[in-house]
Amino acid sequence: MDDQTTGAIDGSPDVVDAAEETKPHTTNVVVWDIPSAIVVGERFRIKVGMKCSDECDLANSPFGIYDNGLQGSEAGSGIRDPGSEEETGIRDQGTREGKRVATGKLSSDLWPGTTGLYVAEVELEAPSEEGLYTWSAKALGSDGEIPHADGSVSFGVRVVSHPEYLVTVETVDKESQTPLSGARVVMHPYKAVTDERGIAQVRVAKGAYRLFVSQSRYLTFGLPVEVAADMTARAELYVEPVQERN
Amino acid sequence: MARKKDSDQKDPKRQGEKSVTRRDFVKAGAAASVGAGAAVLTTSGTALTQVSPTEAVRWTYEADVVVIGAGCTGLPAAIRARDLGASVIVIDQNFDPGGKMLHSGGQISLGGGDPLQLRDIKGEGDKEGFVTAPRQQTVAELTEDTDFLFRDHTDWSVMDTAAQAPYRYNERDLHRAYADNCYATREFLMANYVRMGRISGTHGNGGMSRARRAVTFFMEGPTTDVKKGTISKQDAGIAGKSSSHFAPRFMEDGTKVASKGARTNGAALARPLEFSAREKGVRFILNRHMDEIIREQQFSGRVVGIRASYSPRFDPSGARLESLWQNGNIDDRTETIYIRARKAIIIGAGGHGANPQFRSMFYPAWREPAFVSSGWALLGPRGQDASGIIAGMRVGANLAGMQQNLSYGSTFHFPGNLATRDPYTDMLPGHPTFSMRGSTGINLLTDSFQHLIVVNQVGKRFFNEMLVTTRQGGAAFPAGPGKGQPKKGLDHVQLDWRNASVENIKATYSEPNSVHAALAMNEGSKAPDFFSGPIWAIFDRAAVERDKWNIDPPFTSLTNGFFFKADTIEELAAKILKGHEFQRVPLTYLKETVAKWNSYVDKGSDPDFARGSDAPMHRIDTPPFYAAAFYPVWHDSYGGLRINGRAQVIDMQGEPIPGLFAGGESSGGGNQHGLGRALVHGYIAGTNAVKETT
Repeated sequence: MDDQTTGAIDGSPDVVDAAEETKPHTTNVVVWDIPSAIVVGERFRIKVGMKCSDECDLANSPFGIYDNGLQGSEAGSGIRDPGSEEETGIRDQGTREGKRVATGKLSSDLWPGTTGLYVAEVELEAPSEEGLYTWSAKALGSDGEIPHADGSVSFGVRVVSHPEYLVTVETVDKESQTPLSGARVVMHPYKAVTDERGIAQVRVAKGAYRLFVSQSRYLTFGLPVEVAADMTARAELYVEPVQERN
Repeated sequence: MARKKDSDQKDPKRQGEKSVTRRDFVKAGAAASVGAGAAVLTTSGTALTQVSPTEAVRWTYEADVVVIGAGCTGLPAAIRARDLGASVIVIDQNFDPGGKMLHSGGQISLGGGDPLQLRDIKGEGDKEGFVTAPRQQTVAELTEDTDFLFRDHTDWSVMDTAAQAPYRYNERDLHRAYADNCYATREFLMANYVRMGRISGTHGNGGMSRARRAVTFFMEGPTTDVKKGTISKQDAGIAGKSSSHFAPRFMEDGTKVASKGARTNGAALARPLEFSAREKGVRFILNRHMDEIIREQQFSGRVVGIRASYSPRFDPSGARLESLWQNGNIDDRTETIYIRARKAIIIGAGGHGANPQFRSMFYPAWREPAFVSSGWALLGPRGQDASGIIAGMRVGANLAGMQQNLSYGSTFHFPGNLATRDPYTDMLPGHPTFSMRGSTGINLLTDSFQHLIVVNQVGKRFFNEMLVTTRQGGAAFPAGPGKGQPKKGLDHVQLDWRNASVENIKATYSEPNSVHAALAMNEGSKAPDFFSGPIWAIFDRAAVERDKWNIDPPFTSLTNGFFFKADTIEELAAKILKGHEFQRVPLTYLKETVAKWNSYVDKGSDPDFARGSDAPMHRIDTPPFYAAAFYPVWHDSYGGLRINGRAQVIDMQGEPIPGLFAGGESSGGGNQHGLGRALVHGYIAGTNAVKETT
């Protein structure tokens, strides 16, 4: 170890070692695969990953999921105006303790493509009231010999009432008029992906949306829509021209 | 292919140490103002000792014409001078001729009723039968004369979409000569194995009123044969796999401008010119950087020769990089040589895009050394270093057009190619310099920027990512509002005050400002230079899968410092700081920025930079996470040595410096983008250089 070597040169290796032993490792927390819109009271699943700054084995490490309340609500400890010049709510969130809604333990699996991110999938229940909530995932420390500082991360949970209208979107290549499968249809916060016939169905609440359909190598299709009944839309996508280098 | 027999030409020769005669020395004069050993500053900041004006120079080689730079000005100049009977030495700092022309798109806008305009007007093809594609423009769009072209290139009234006037400040004598020599230059190119397709539009400040652009091509064939005009598929490049020593960039399909099987880009211009030059007996001293032009007195008398230093390049194994072709090379590895020019010196050493000190004359924020000129790997660390301009200045040359860097949209811009230091060039493995860049880059179209955020050196966003690669279009035919003009195509009116009216400017102004925002000072900028630092595109695994990006080698490299992968955002920030040469400060705000972005995605709006109106927004949360360098590039160089219509370099008193010529990006006073300008300058310079008397 470099530090030990340095300590030996300084003639005080024991002091250095002692300091090393008491310094907790950092744990970084990641949360993903959060559905963009969750119907009130329904169960949903997210993924939680944690990594130790020294790549310790975090298998079976415990974590908690906390509901910090509705964003913008004074009662909740949600995100403050993100544009604030001061330390933002986001930076604060990890230190705030909301209502614990779940606990879990990491598996012994590393997330594919990572070198030390231990992962778990958690099933959760959406609040019974619609709105955008701030939740957080927090490492609960470990019983091992090396202490780990509590890492945490916050994330948004969008809870919606039962969307009543069905929007059917047909997507084709403008030039060939052939269906585009795998295109992403977004009517924030609702999303769907087109099937092999180029069709996607999105169930949305009444309201005004901007309908986006995007696909790799194509220019995104955008259309303002007012939804007050079931409806259909056709999106014709242009291949994006390659900018010439001259 | 007409070729002049040169039996009476004097060949360049190395002076044997025992046979040095009085001719081999020049007295530089006793009345010079710089004393022996006076220190002068080179571009790299190294103090060099100038040859004493009172000291005899021992010439290593001599030739009638010495050309500095084997690029778009130098090669035509050398061939032209050789055609007219001169012995010619071309030196180049790189290991292979071609300069920036070799990795260009091969688009040449000339005009004034040039041979290709006339060919298309007649509806004819080429003699070899390669050009069978239908005409792209109408007869009216192709019809003009040299006076019309001259007016187009000096039109005071034309304003571009950034409210700049790209023609108003052009040197008049220079552009009169340009218009008068376009015909001869196009013919000259065709006589030297250059094949060009149909005229299609005009590019980059090449005039608003007529179609003038043709693209150079080869035809795919079993072998690469410059005389026959064929190229093998391997040499032309395999899409997404490889390019070649012959063509550093993958050659594009040229079906529309020539016929099926045509492959286009600057290799179809540079290699034929190089081939022809070698065939005609032009001698090349490669790996040789011009450090000084020697004049009889520093500010008076003729220029008599140059001093040049050995500038080899090596691959990672330590092997010296070698030119594709060797015939005609003089492989001199002496540290310093002196080359006498009996008649003339022609400066075609390229521009200043890779010299941060020089380019900061126009834009101080570009003193940031991280950002390079296009073709950085191909040209090496001394390419585009302004050395030709600086050497001219040191012997009294005036400058011209220094402000014209600001009136061409791709002078500096974001090409949208991630994970490489040279984002303009999409070189694939196969060229000897690929190892210098290490990665081709992740070449994204504009729409793909919806999947990432772009941050500065402290990890803060600075612009709407969907607009960050928007480029100001060059003001050229077919004009119209998209080019800053009220009328389009043949309806455009030359010299019309309405072109520059306030109403028109208000209606067409749309300067993209992303580069300016990227170069702005931030929390990591420190005195005295206040560098803005590198720019990073931040994205996650979900983006890669959603938009189907290939982030594997050769498109990225995890070892060249321009692409990083990490399990968490915190780790990503640490890796960038540790692994990127120009990351001088921590990305303190990166974690906060990503969290803030994700909260904006949840809300469906971006109060900071108004994302969300033209494309959906996506969370950045799925590990692993990636950071790819997102660099702007200084592509063109405008502003340089003042030259007249004979391509003579002009001094501070408005007089030609005897024996000194220049062109292309070493010269100023012309705001035309690309190859046409440099080729014509080279042709003119070569023509006039041989007329000089010793």
